[in-house]
Formats: sequence, structure tokens, C-alpha cells
Amino acid sequence: MQRRTFLIRLAAGVAASQLPSAQAARGGLRYLRPPGAQDESAFVANCIRCGKCGEVCPNRSIQFFGNENGFASRDTPYIIPREQACILCMKCGEVCPTGALARIPREAAPILAKVDMGKAQVNEDLCLSYQGKTCGVCYRACPLQDVAIRVQRLEQPVVSDACVGCGLCERSCIQLPQAIRVIPRHVTV
Amino acid sequence: MSRSDAKRHLLLRRQLNKLRWLSLSLVFVTLVLLPLLSIYQNYTAAHAYDLLEPGQKQLYDVMEWLTGAFTDDPATDLNAVKGTTWSASLFGYKISDPLAVVSQIAASLTLYWPFVLTALVPLVASMLLGRIYCGWICPATFLYELNDNLGSWLRRAGIQLPDRVLWRPLKYLVLATGLVLAAITGSVVTAAIYPPAIIGRELYYGIALGGFGAGAVFFLLTLLFDHLVARRGFCRYLCPGGALYSLLGRFRVLRIQRDVANCNDCTKCNAACQFGLDPMGDGFGQECNNCSACISACPTDALLFKLRINDLPAQGPGHLGHAYRKQRHVSRDENQAA
Repeated sequence: MQRRTFLIRLAAGVAASQLPSAQAARGGLRYLRPPGAQDESAFVANCIRCGKCGEVCPNRSIQFFGNENGFASRDTPYIIPREQACILCMKCGEVCPTGALARIPREAAPILAKVDMGKAQVNEDLCLSYQGKTCGVCYRACPLQDVAIRVQRLEQPVVSDACVGCGLCERSCIQLPQAIRVIPRHVTV
Repeated sequence: MSRSDAKRHLLLRRQLNKLRWLSLSLVFVTLVLLPLLSIYQNYTAAHAYDLLEPGQKQLYDVMEWLTGAFTDDPATDLNAVKGTTWSASLFGYKISDPLAVVSQIAASLTLYWPFVLTALVPLVASMLLGRIYCGWICPATFLYELNDNLGSWLRRAGIQLPDRVLWRPLKYLVLATGLVLAAITGSVVTAAIYPPAIIGRELYYGIALGGFGAGAVFFLLTLLFDHLVARRGFCRYLCPGGALYSLLGRFRVLRIQRDVANCNDCTKCNAACQFGLDPMGDGFGQECNNCSACISACPTDALLFKLRINDLPAQGPGHLGHAYRKQRHVSRDENQAA
């Protein structure tokens, strides 16, 4: 291989690793910010990418962006609820130095008042309970049972406005693809 | 070896560079250890020892052996030490890199005092001690110095590596550009081009999350830059944090100074200085990171840490050297002639 071709390929490879991928352009990534996060733009401006939120996360829910969500949110934390949902332990807010993640005590009232990662949405065409097969797994997985999610006859789930979007329902849904999904706050806005 | 020689070798200043290496290594080892402890904490939090793979069990056992003496509840207690040199939590106190604070202010255009205060200790330390962070703590310096040693071996093996002299204030331009870009994009972009922040993060990604990220590529490029453009080039010419620390340390109190009466012009200090400064000509300036390599290299103990606000003006050739004696003879001859 000639030196010039080698250098050009090296430069192309480096550029590819440093630039946003096509997925970001399609907007195909559905991710949550950790609990207590400020709105998306303030969060990106305040997060210094220290990674402590991920380090203290006992459930290993928090991952970090490469370039797939654009350069601006590189190295910021996110959660894919279907892979590993948030257990609302609120440790990430404790270690966040900049207030990008608010410090919220681990009690039902402040969590309901301040955490807003998104809101779960049931797809009745996929949900087993709505299809006549009693399931109710999402209801049982919910840490805010009977507040964020209720069940009707045949364990059909109904999500209320109190839902904080932790994603444990989506994580536990036994249907493939999942019949309940968290719609992130920054998408619904 | 005479007795006075033996005594001199035991002097602390001869060991300063080793002490500094100890400090750099400790920081780096800690940065490797923290992700491992984080994994261990996840295992303990999950009460899942029985479900672990053999390799994971080994990690669990080693970490338990390391921490067992200090804690009965690792899942909670080990959260006492978290983070990297970019921003860390130490036993309830948070401490952050001043560059992190400046960048966060630029990106968000707000002052969040609890965060600003976390940079107070490093800020004061840099104002008093100069680029002490660069020389004694920075995990990137640890790798850059190893990389520089590799460069020396390559040179010795006959491979020509350039050491261009670039425009030194370039790094201040990088710092300014980084902050302006942070303000424009509303995102802490300096975090992506600041090696110690990258190292801390990438070690965590690589060890705990199972793969290095895009920052690792950038860091490898800076290693190449040091070989292909200028020795320790990134620290000297491009590092935004180094620029900030240089500015903060402009009026530092702790400086290395040359005792001209003991200097014999051997140039070992200039060769030891990876930053390409001129200790033998009293040229330290705000770039000097007080690393003490020149002090340890000096065979006549002519370089010392001093408490001074300013560098000495150039003092001319050392009094133990040829040049100075020649000068003296010339002036004596002139006196006799007159």
C-alpha cells in the first residue's frame, strides 16, 4: 500500500470514528436521560461528562453516548429501558457535581414530583392482556404500582400521568416486540 | 564514593522525580481500580455470586480481598471514592478540574456555585504551585511520559523523530476556541479534547462497559502527534487544560531556580526537560510544570525549588563550568593589563 493511500484511509477511519453516524440523522435512537435530568438542552450544557452517574449506578442501567446521537451529546449518560431500566435508586443525582442531574431523595413523593424521564405507553395491539391472555407483568414490575400504572379486568394495564418513565415495565414485558414502551420526555415535548 | 557523595544521594531532591512517578502511578492505578470496584459493587448489589462466570468470580474475590478490611457493605461504602481527575467524589467532598468548571460555565452561561466551589482547591493549588497538576497528577502525563521514553528508544535505535518548535501560545488559542465552541454549541466540548478527562472516561468504558469509545482514537492521535510533530507536543502546544493551568500559575510561588554558583553547564537539565524549556539558561516561564526532572538530573545540585514570585533573569554560565572560568581569566588578564 502506498503511503498516500494509507494516510487517506487512516484519516477517513479517524473521521468516521469522530463524526455522528447515520443513525443520529434518522433520529432512530429512543433513549432516556437518568432520573432528575434537566431538559435536554440544559442537560447537555451542564453535564461535564465525568461519568460518575454510570459508575455509581448499581443496576448498570446508565450507558454513555459515542457519536451516535451527535457530537453535542457525546459522552453524556443515557438509558435504554429495554436493555436495562432505571430502578430509581437516585444515586446518580447524589454524585452529579453540576446539578445536571438533580439530587432527589429516594422517597415516593419527591420522585413522583421531580422525576420525569418519560411516560410509558401501552400498545394494545401487542399487549397480551388486551388480547385476552391475562398477563400483568408490567404492573408488577412498576415501582410506583397503583400510582403510575393500574390494571383493569384481565390485568389490562393503564398508565397514568404520574408515570416517571423508569422503564421497568418495558424491561419486564414478556412480549416481543415489547407492548409497553417509555416515550422519553424530550421526544414528547 | 565518598561520604559526602553518599549523603547527597540520599537527599530528597534527588528522589523528587521518583516521588512524582509514584504519584502519577498511584493516580493511574486508582483510575484502573475504580471501574473494577464499580463492577464488583454491581455484583454485590445483585447478590449474584453463584451466577457469575469463573473470570467474574476471580474479580469478585480479588476485589473482596482488597476492600474487605475497609468495608462490610461494599455496594454502598465504596461509593465514597468515585470519578476521575476531571471530577471526583472523595468521602463526601467533590473536587473538579478548573477546566471542567470554566467549560460548564461557557456551555450553560450560568454559574452553579456548588459546582464552582468544587474547583476551589485545585484552583488555589495551581495559583501557588503552577502546572503541578500536569506534572504530578494528570493520568495523561503518565502515558505521555512513557510514550516519550518510547520515543527516546526509537531515537536510540536510529529512527529520526522530528521535534518541531511550534508557537507556544497555540494552546491558549485552543482553550479560547474550545470555550467559544462550548458557548456556541451549548455542550461541554472541551471534555472531548482534554486528555486526562478522556483517559478517566475511556478507562471506565474499556474496563466496566466492555469497550473503548471514540475518545480513545483521539488520544492515540495525540500520542502519534508527540512522535511525529513535537516531543510532548500535545501538552506543550495544544492542551486546553495545560493552557488554563499555565495562566493560573503565571504568578506561582513555587519555582525551580538555578543556583549559578553550583552549576557546571553540563546541559543534563535541558536534556531532561521534556517540555523543551531551558533550565540551564534560567528559562522556565509559565509552561514549567514543576515536574522536577531537571532537579533530579542535576549532578551538582544546582537546581532547587524556591519560594519566589518571579523567575530569575538569565544568570549567565555556571560558575563551575569552562565558559565562566574563561570569562574570569579574560577579565583578570584585562585588569592586569590595565
